[in-house]
Amino acid sequence: MSRISIIEVKALTKVFDNEIRAVDGISFTVDEGEILGFLGPNGAGKTTTLNMLATLLRPTSGTATVNVHDILAEPDAVRRSIGYVFQDPTLDLELTGRENLDFHGRLYSLKRDVRRQRIEEMLELVQLTDRADDLVKTYSGGMKRRLEIARGLLHHPQVLFLDEPTLGLDPQTRRSIWEHIQRLNQDKNITIILTTHYTEEADYLCDRILIIDFGKIVALDTPDNLKARLEGDIVSLTFKDPAKMVKIRPLLEEKDWIRRISVVASDNSHATMSHMMQMMRGMSGRVGIGGMMPGMDSGNVRGGGKMPKRVRQMLAQSMGGEDDQRGLEGGSKRLNLLVDDGGHRIPEIVKLADASEVVLESVELHKPTLDDVFLSVTGRNIRDERGSFMETVRRHRIIREARGHRVRG
Amino acid sequence: MGIGSEVEIAKKGKVECEMVQPLSGQAIYVVLLRELKRYWRAKARIISSMAQSFFFLAIFGLGLGGFIGRFGGIDYLSYLAPGVIGMGLLFGSVFSGVSVIFDRQFGFMKEMLVAPVSRTSIVLGKILGGAVTASIQGVILMIVAGLMGAFTPTPALVAGALSAVGVMLLITAGFVGLGVAIGSVLSDFHAFQLLATFVMWPLFMLSGVFFPIEVAPFPLQVVMLFDPLFYGVELLRWCLLGAGTPILGPFGWLIALGVLIGFAAVMVGIGAYLFSRAQV
Repeated sequence: MSRISIIEVKALTKVFDNEIRAVDGISFTVDEGEILGFLGPNGAGKTTTLNMLATLLRPTSGTATVNVHDILAEPDAVRRSIGYVFQDPTLDLELTGRENLDFHGRLYSLKRDVRRQRIEEMLELVQLTDRADDLVKTYSGGMKRRLEIARGLLHHPQVLFLDEPTLGLDPQTRRSIWEHIQRLNQDKNITIILTTHYTEEADYLCDRILIIDFGKIVALDTPDNLKARLEGDIVSLTFKDPAKMVKIRPLLEEKDWIRRISVVASDNSHATMSHMMQMMRGMSGRVGIGGMMPGMDSGNVRGGGKMPKRVRQMLAQSMGGEDDQRGLEGGSKRLNLLVDDGGHRIPEIVKLADASEVVLESVELHKPTLDDVFLSVTGRNIRDERGSFMETVRRHRIIREARGHRVRG
Repeated sequence: MGIGSEVEIAKKGKVECEMVQPLSGQAIYVVLLRELKRYWRAKARIISSMAQSFFFLAIFGLGLGGFIGRFGGIDYLSYLAPGVIGMGLLFGSVFSGVSVIFDRQFGFMKEMLVAPVSRTSIVLGKILGGAVTASIQGVILMIVAGLMGAFTPTPALVAGALSAVGVMLLITAGFVGLGVAIGSVLSDFHAFQLLATFVMWPLFMLSGVFFPIEVAPFPLQVVMLFDPLFYGVELLRWCLLGAGTPILGPFGWLIALGVLIGFAAVMVGIGAYLFSRAQV
């Protein structure tokens, strides 16, 4: 199959308020008929990139063409070439499914006959024909999502943008949306760009995956190639006492057959972080946290007299510090090792643990997944985790401030 | 991970490109159509706003009217009716304009903005839709007031009532424009209460609904003359009762018409401008 590139992105950059480089000079091309996935954590710049390609945001510098139309010079032609299924629902709940599609068809000036015929076609495609005349507010989450996808396709775009297409859906619905996406791609040869932070979604659906982190492309390849980069096996160690992780680490680092060691953030520490974010949001304006965030390090966290004690404790706990060596490890119980020939090394690892009197709760062996790839290309291991976490908080804070709470989330 | 800043960007994500695009009749029409459908489906809203106006007419018109009796040669109910219609128009149209906040909040705005049509088309459709739905409400109020005996049935009344419909569209266009302007600047519903207290009620109370401008002290008269709704109510009185306040003179209707056209033009302009600049 001959490959023609339908999207060409050149040094695309978006800087918000002269400060946050949400998208930082990215370049890539997308072939016609391809499914490309943007994989990245929240705030990585996925949606910002899509919004620029959809002409909703003006790039600070750089440009792109979509279906040979320049996003700056010919926004109208670009808009006609694309369908965009946004991350947040954008249906009119007070209209029926059919009326939502009809509205869209008229906005894209489809003639009456064409419109009617396509609406039937699309309803059929997403299996909503029998509910078409019910108000959308009576639809389930999966039905709404399917209707949005149908709507995005109504004007026969060459490219479909799907921003987190299955966010918050149950596994069964997610599976059925995946099948819809695949069928669209295969039957209608529609190029699809989707964003996701589910690695299994990217793995399952995408021809190529673009891993984006802090606005930069850190990897772009097929899922298989990405995984093949991590030659070897992943050995996951779970510790009974997380504090003991510190004891075994130096010993592991000495072994040349262990190529990478990363700490897996546990759900527990994750919960702590998001709880903290919640509290900070709630407090903005009342205490002076906003002002001190940019230069924050573990020193002034402990010294920050203005912060309520609870937050100070949580910050200190999740960031670690000289007098609390547990740090992030306090929240995490797992180490991932990238090991050559993992199966044969397990006994040695267990011996090592015994020798240093660390109790292992479990040892698991698996082939590298995209999660492992992600871990490896974004360099998120224990040493960087602290910094990058605070960096994320800082960015988050700045973005919120920059937007001045103009629109409520 | 999981901190959600991209969600924030998506929600607050500035959708900021200003496009130079031609107006599209189809786009204006489809946005208008949506407003009509939504209006028609929100029966509770229609009924409650009409009931409110009806209570004003019935309680003030008949109750207070019984005490005041006639003044300026007409029943108090007749005097009150155009003003209450004006109230219905004001509230209906401002809220209709402010509903751009809801469109933003519930995401539908993005669906409109990513389509290959200009923002101006969208906002004009929105304003037209708001003007038509608020005017429908005004017409119903006019009929209710007529049935209560507010207007003298003469052949001239038919022509007057028809012109009144045109006047209603003019009044509401201006106030939907005002609503859109406010809705494009305000970010959330919490300001609604402030909006009602500091914008809508003063506009309503100062429009000469309850008392003729002549009886007010001079400073208040000056303030009233700055209320666009005052001219709207004036013009409705000319249409439905055949006369207006002596203060504006024998050609008061012409002055009122001029002010209303100017107000509508300015507010639609400001509303469209602020809407085009607003971030989603």
